[in-house]
Amino acid sequence: MDRTVQPAESPAAAPRQAVARPKLSLPADPRSAATPPAARARALSKVYGTGEATVRALDAVDIDFAAGAFTAIMGPSGSGKSTLMHLLAGLDTASSGQAFLGATEITGLDDGALTRLRRDRVGFVFQQFNLLPMFTAEQNILLPLELAGLPREARARAAAKAASREWFDTLVATLGLADRLTHRPAELSGGQQQRVAIARALIAKPDVVFADEPTGNLDSRSGAEVLSFLRRSVRELGRTVIMVTHDPAAAAYADRVVLLADGAIAGDISEPTPESVLAGLDALRSLDGSVLDTAAAR
Amino acid sequence: MWRLTLAQMRRSLGRLTAAGLAIVIGTAFVAATLIAGGVITRTSYDAVSASYADADLVATSEGGLTAADLATLRDTPGVEALDGRRSLRVELVSGPQRAVPEVAAVASDPRLEAQELVSGAFPTAVGEVAVPGPMAERLGVGVGDPLTASRQVWTPDAAQDPATGTDPEEPAGTWTNVPEELTVVGLLSDPAGAFAESGGAVLVVADDADRWAAQDATGSVVGSSGDVATATFTRAVIALTDGADVGQVTAALEATAPEGTTIRTKDDEAAAKVSELTNGSDILTTIVLGFAAIALLVAALVISNTFQVLIAQRTRALALLRCVGADKRQLRRSVLQEAGLLGLASSALGLALGVGLAQVTLSVLGRMNSGVPLPPTVSITSAVVLAPLVVGTLVTVMAALAPARAATKVAPLAALRPADAPTLAHRRSLPRLVLAVLLTVVGAALLGLAVVVGQSSDAFLALGIGVLGGILSFVGVLVGAVFWVPRVVGAAGRLLATRSMAAKLAAANTVRNPRRTAATSAALLIGVTLVAMMSTGAASTRTTLDGALDDQFPVDVAISRDAPAVAADGTTSDPVTPALVATVADVPGVIETVALRDLFVQLEFGGATEWTDAFAIDPAAAGAVLRAPSMMAGLDDSTAVLSSGIAERLGISAGDRVTLTPELVGPDGVTAATGEPVELTAVLTDLPGGVAFTPGALARTGADLPTNQVWARLADSNDASTVVPAIEDALSETAVQIAGAAVERAMFQRIIDTLLAVVVGLLGVAVVIALIGVANTLSLSVLERRRESATLRAIGLSRRQLRAMLAIEGMLIAGVGAVIGAVLGTLYGWAGVATLVGSMGEVRLDVPWGQLGLVVLVALVAGLLASVIPGRAAARTSPVAALAVD
Ligand SMILES: Nc1ncnc2c1ncn2[C@@H]1O[C@H](COP(=O)(O)OP(=O)(O)OP(=O)(O)O)[C@@H](O)[C@H]1O
Ligand SMILES: [Mg+2]
Repeated sequence: MDRTVQPAESPAAAPRQAVARPKLSLPADPRSAATPPAARARALSKVYGTGEATVRALDAVDIDFAAGAFTAIMGPSGSGKSTLMHLLAGLDTASSGQAFLGATEITGLDDGALTRLRRDRVGFVFQQFNLLPMFTAEQNILLPLELAGLPREARARAAAKAASREWFDTLVATLGLADRLTHRPAELSGGQQQRVAIARALIAKPDVVFADEPTGNLDSRSGAEVLSFLRRSVRELGRTVIMVTHDPAAAAYADRVVLLADGAIAGDISEPTPESVLAGLDALRSLDGSVLDTAAAR
Repeated sequence: MWRLTLAQMRRSLGRLTAAGLAIVIGTAFVAATLIAGGVITRTSYDAVSASYADADLVATSEGGLTAADLATLRDTPGVEALDGRRSLRVELVSGPQRAVPEVAAVASDPRLEAQELVSGAFPTAVGEVAVPGPMAERLGVGVGDPLTASRQVWTPDAAQDPATGTDPEEPAGTWTNVPEELTVVGLLSDPAGAFAESGGAVLVVADDADRWAAQDATGSVVGSSGDVATATFTRAVIALTDGADVGQVTAALEATAPEGTTIRTKDDEAAAKVSELTNGSDILTTIVLGFAAIALLVAALVISNTFQVLIAQRTRALALLRCVGADKRQLRRSVLQEAGLLGLASSALGLALGVGLAQVTLSVLGRMNSGVPLPPTVSITSAVVLAPLVVGTLVTVMAALAPARAATKVAPLAALRPADAPTLAHRRSLPRLVLAVLLTVVGAALLGLAVVVGQSSDAFLALGIGVLGGILSFVGVLVGAVFWVPRVVGAAGRLLATRSMAAKLAAANTVRNPRRTAATSAALLIGVTLVAMMSTGAASTRTTLDGALDDQFPVDVAISRDAPAVAADGTTSDPVTPALVATVADVPGVIETVALRDLFVQLEFGGATEWTDAFAIDPAAAGAVLRAPSMMAGLDDSTAVLSSGIAERLGISAGDRVTLTPELVGPDGVTAATGEPVELTAVLTDLPGGVAFTPGALARTGADLPTNQVWARLADSNDASTVVPAIEDALSETAVQIAGAAVERAMFQRIIDTLLAVVVGLLGVAVVIALIGVANTLSLSVLERRRESATLRAIGLSRRQLRAMLAIEGMLIAGVGAVIGAVLGTLYGWAGVATLVGSMGEVRLDVPWGQLGLVVLVALVAGLLASVIPGRAAARTSPVAALAVD
């Protein structure tokens, strides 16, 4: 595909943002300049299969995700959104290029280091919730802490316990789960399960929370709830969230939308609205169409 | 439906293979058992009929056949040759070596000769003998060498009135040793093992054999009855002329033979003899098949478990089928078809495996040259083929019945629900609980009853009640497993859960599916309970018998010798020489020895007399050698120690004066007083039987009795099984009888240990199948929990922790099954021992901690191993799978 026709980071994309939308009353993030991005990709590629069946799911992607921001990734099905996220989170290994979490390069880490990284610095929210059915909501939320274990010295242990308890209470209160803690997943609604999953993702205060279509299995009301919690966790709790979604309305909750097409960055919308996102997607589609058209013409 | 069944089987091939393995092992067991049974039958037929050589017919007579009878039979048309057979032995001496082989007459027809000539010739004249090769080697003789037949001949007194001469009460005469010089003319081999059990037979001409037999018959004085003298043959072997009709000749022979004579073909005779020996049924095969049944039962549990999981995994597919119009019967049939196919395929494999194993065993045994002639190849009968196939398939289908019913319960609606980790319905039905409790309680009550009955009366009745009670209560325990096993596993898991995250996850996982955990544990429980029962039973029986033996036999080893010792210069001395005592004392493991006189005394008190065994022994030496020195307390030259039994019978109490007269037993078994009576003061101790007094007291009677016994004490009575054979070896040159607690103990220990090893080995098959079940359950869980494992990996569970989780899960399931099995087995073992040996005396219960610990350890290790393959599969799964939408 001819890269130059893509609107990514090109001035041509700017006019789309003119679509009126009340500007967020967010002070310009002072960290954005000073602190390094929470996650970065440099010429990141992922190739599945060999020979005839080769699929280039990601093609030399360069992108930064700012810390303390809520970023949405959008794009047609099969465009490589999940693949990008897996590589950034250290769930899968890249074919080439580099991925960084904060200052750490995660491409090239061994399984043990990746496991520790995921445990301590990354949180996940899945479309299927993926709570452990045999544990209660509270046990599910505390799971990452238990996996990490407590410090050995008694004092640090007590301090860590108190700190995590306080954080747990904050999360539970924010997510409105106080009266559901003793329930098992089977006894919770989809929205409640996803809120538990969000609490689980946040409990270890990870550098980045990745969410792959977190509202995919929810009705619009529960979806809206979950999205506003994700946004609150960024605005009020200072976390970083990167979310994949198909829903322009969901993407509008984010501070920035990154568009992906055929394994490459195809657009970048800051301060999105449902309308601006739709417009961006439409542009993508027409571009695709034009590419197809040209291909057909040849 | 077949197409669907096959498609589904193809998809679940891995699972089915694991389940099929259980059936393969079970049916291989059945097939191998049946083949072994066939081999044993064939071998025993061959063994018992080997001495008939190639005889066409065998005549047996209850009353015996005289030479005249044989002559009549020989004249029957169609009979080519006929030889009489009898049991006759002779003592052969060559220098210091001796042997007591059977004696057979040279056959009148080569077809009737059981042994083969290796070198030399068959005897043709009086005084010639052919000896089996190995025996000749032992005796140190070859062809042409002389050999002495040492024969005891009874000569009645010449003065005796012939009318009263045969009066068995008062025979008079003398035994004389008549040596007969023989010449070895041939060496024999016994390829068919015709005389294997009697240690070989020498061949002489019929004249010698007849003469010896006649001398022995008239010489058997005590208890001899008229027929012994006349009935010289127990059976006759017959060779027919070529072309003679077996049926006709048999009829003709039956017509002429004396009353009570049976004429059978060689094979029929063998079958009759074997069924006489085995009491009409093939007990061994029956018992081993019982163990095979246990293995198959465990396999059924494993299969049932697997199918339940398969059904649970297929819920969506089944529901879809229901949506598109399949009815319940079709689904049910599909599951049963699948089970039938699996059962048939696995059974066929098992059959092949069993036949192969049996063949390999036969080849190995054949090469080891064990002395038993074995068939070179297994003989495959229709029973050997059909039984494993039918049983294996049936067991599999039966095991799938409950899962098949579960398949019909899948609602079409299930297809519309989102795919979730399959869960099995675990209703805990009240009837099941009631049934379980009822069975357990009734069974336990019957077990208690059996113990009480066993104490007092009929052991067989007690055993029957006990077995019924054991089976009922165990079935109750198994039926109730779903209620209590998950609880126990959960409790054990909670104990572990504080340790690590992996343990916490494992503990939570094991209680997720109570029915599956229960069934998996129960499969192991069966095998372990039985193994533990056998070990505990064996240990308790051994301690109980040990206790009984200690009371019964005051000494560890008693060595008696009757024949006077003959020194090199021909002088004779007491049977027990100081050299013999020293030899015994030198055997490692023997710490004390004492030589004594074992004699008979007539005990008289208050007019009543009793004839009893007595020991003339030095009190100090006796105290050192006896396990219970208190038995000889108060013994000095003026006292006699009496057993309470004798004292009671004669009404003697401690301090009474009793009169003892030593007696001598002649070779005819008749006693005669040999000394003056002596009066001694009675001392009563817990001497188990007879009377003990000092050599000093014996001297006062004036009787000159030889020292004829040695008592030995072992350092450790548990070493009996090694020390007793060592003593036997040390004394192999001298004819002695060895008895005592240690000997009995060594024998019991050997029997118990052998039985236990065999039984545990047989039960081991069931345990192995159960462990396959554990591995199967774990790998199913891993499959089911793919997404969950991936989620855990995504949020930071390391591969090691994931594997540890599964390892702990495996060990929890296996460990709980093993521990509960060990406890239950101990209880059953105790109940069994109390029932069976309760009547023999005080029951001493024992716990074989070492063996039980080993069983539990094996189960734990196996649980750990069972988790290795599933654990690897789980750890290999990329966490990305957790994010995949399926
Ligand atoms: N394990 C795999 N093996 C082979 N190809 C794969 C694999 N996973 C993804 N792909 C391919 O890589 C490409 C990108 O897949 P990816 O899952 O990242 O898409 P996506 O943008 O998340 O799509 P969706 O919106 O449908 O979730 C697709 O063409 C897909 O077919
Ligand atoms: Mg995706």
